Amino acid sequence: MNWQIPLLCGVVVFCGLAILAKDLIKAAIGLAVASVLLGILFFTMNAPYAGVFEISVVAGLITVLFMLTIALTKAEGEVRERRWVKIAFPLFFVAFIVIDVLVMKSLLSKVQVVASGAESGSFGDVLWKQRTFDLIGQLAVILAGVFAVLALFRKKDKHD
Amino acid sequence: MIFLFIGLPLVVAAFMPLIGKISKKFLPDLLANAVFLVLFVLAATSGRQLIAGGPVLQSLSWLGEPVAVQIAVDGFSLLMLMAIALVTLCVGLYSINYMTPYGSKANYYALLLMMVTGMNGLVLVTDLFQVYLFLEVAAIASYALVAYGLEHDELEASFKYLMLSVVASAAVLIGIAILFGMTGSLGFAGVADALRGLDSKLAVGACAALFLMGFGLKAALIPFHAWLPDAHPSAPAPISAMLSGLLIKVSGVYALTRIFFNVFGLAPGAWLSQILMGLGIVSAVIAAFLAIGQKDLKRMLAYSSISQVGYVVLGIGIGTPLGVAGGLFHLFNHALAKSLLFLNSGSVQQATGTRNLDEMGGLAKRMPVTAATSLVGSLSIAGVPPLGGFWSKLIIIMALVQAGHGVLAVAAVLASVVTLWYYLVIQRKAFFGKLDEKWKAVKEAPFWMTAATVILALLVIGTGIFFSAIFKTWIQPASDALAKGF
Repeated sequence: MNWQIPLLCGVVVFCGLAILAKDLIKAAIGLAVASVLLGILFFTMNAPYAGVFEISVVAGLITVLFMLTIALTKAEGEVRERRWVKIAFPLFFVAFIVIDVLVMKSLLSKVQVVASGAESGSFGDVLWKQRTFDLIGQLAVILAGVFAVLALFRKKDKHD
Repeated sequence: MIFLFIGLPLVVAAFMPLIGKISKKFLPDLLANAVFLVLFVLAATSGRQLIAGGPVLQSLSWLGEPVAVQIAVDGFSLLMLMAIALVTLCVGLYSINYMTPYGSKANYYALLLMMVTGMNGLVLVTDLFQVYLFLEVAAIASYALVAYGLEHDELEASFKYLMLSVVASAAVLIGIAILFGMTGSLGFAGVADALRGLDSKLAVGACAALFLMGFGLKAALIPFHAWLPDAHPSAPAPISAMLSGLLIKVSGVYALTRIFFNVFGLAPGAWLSQILMGLGIVSAVIAAFLAIGQKDLKRMLAYSSISQVGYVVLGIGIGTPLGVAGGLFHLFNHALAKSLLFLNSGSVQQATGTRNLDEMGGLAKRMPVTAATSLVGSLSIAGVPPLGGFWSKLIIIMALVQAGHGVLAVAAVLASVVTLWYYLVIQRKAFFGKLDEKWKAVKEAPFWMTAATVILALLVIGTGIFFSAIFKTWIQPASDALAKGF
């Protein structure tokens, strides 16, 4: 059976939920489910790396960050400190990184990239040796995002 | 050496927040402007010798090992690098005084440097996916810079810009994915070679349509222009100058032109050429009429940007060497003149507290330098001889006539007359006439703001007077590079 169409429909429905839900936790869960379905879709389309990245980073890491942020803040903007969050999050984060690194390491040298591509070799070769400049570009994207957040959430100075 | 255009602003931006902890204003001002100056000197002095023997492909090596970082510079990239360096330097100088009340200068310069990194990267890469990456770098920095004042209007304009820009980026990414799926390559030359051997007009047409929509949105061509009249006026004046003077041209016009010429192989008279010319003339004419009705000075300038980008696309769309050269020359002229006018609008807004033209009047008596430089910029964009804008518009119109598009040539002339009309309205309402009582205490803009506008005005005048030399040394090689490809 072709699972791609139902999966795609699921992605759209849960993305819709993420946008429409007023409860932030429901919205974050909607995004995570959509991301998991998208990751599975990538696997069915023979793109395991995209699938692993999608599930581990978007469904995993980003959802944890969203949940943590929601758990630490109240509507009034006060930060509610909880001891278990302080302990659990670093542990979860370290465990996540370790599992992610192990999974990626086992996959990196095994799967070939698109057969018709100009790039050839394992995924690791392509990512680190042939598409190095993409990493610089991505670094720049992340830096721009960080500066944007710093600028938009800075303490506002008076100006006329 | 070429990698410095990307690496230098990127590295300095990364350290800028730390430098901001040491010195809130002086060091960020000094360092950012030093970077802009170095980039300008590099582009002006070594660029032309570098490409004297044709396009230069440069690969990096790290500890003797080659690294897969390949960038290229040809006449077209060099023209864009020069325009970016010139405008950014003036914007940097202007920001020394203008951005002080906004606070957190280090953060501001970090974002400005990231925007420059994105634009420089975009004009130097030879790979479709890297085009997308650097497009995003410049775009993300620009969203934050538009909202930098954190007022309601600025945040709303930034959000609108973000939403439409994301649609544009998605369209570009889908187009790139389809091309990669068809050709198995992402490099400009590789994709172009593979497309020549494929008979898939429908898929290529779909990609071209996606790129037109994506880059058309970035360039704010009509009908993809809705975000620009909000985003450009709402941003702080130096950022308006960057957006209107550079960003719409680099992330819209440059990317579109590079891909259409060097990947799809645009030829005069082909359907792509017809579509580009159509979009160009519609933007040039309609936006000129939309500008007339505006009372907000910066909003009028924003509509003017849409109209002038229309001229650029019209010229490039003709596809003949003369048309392309005219389009590129107009791109360069408009980058200088529109940046100048947006900086002037910032000086006026800071001095009077308003952007409403109906509330101004007689400001030339209090702000003579701002008024004079504003007149220079206005006349250049309106196409009055002997300023740069006149020559570029003349070349575009000559190219239209030469290619047998007489009706479009007449429409372009008429749009130019309308342009002159609304720029004279700006001059009359803002600077000439009787000085209103409430503006008696208005003073000329501070030193660095005035210095930046004077430099740009001198460049606009110089481009007109020395147009022949500039055309031969900067514009013609850019046009030739597009014809030859990498």
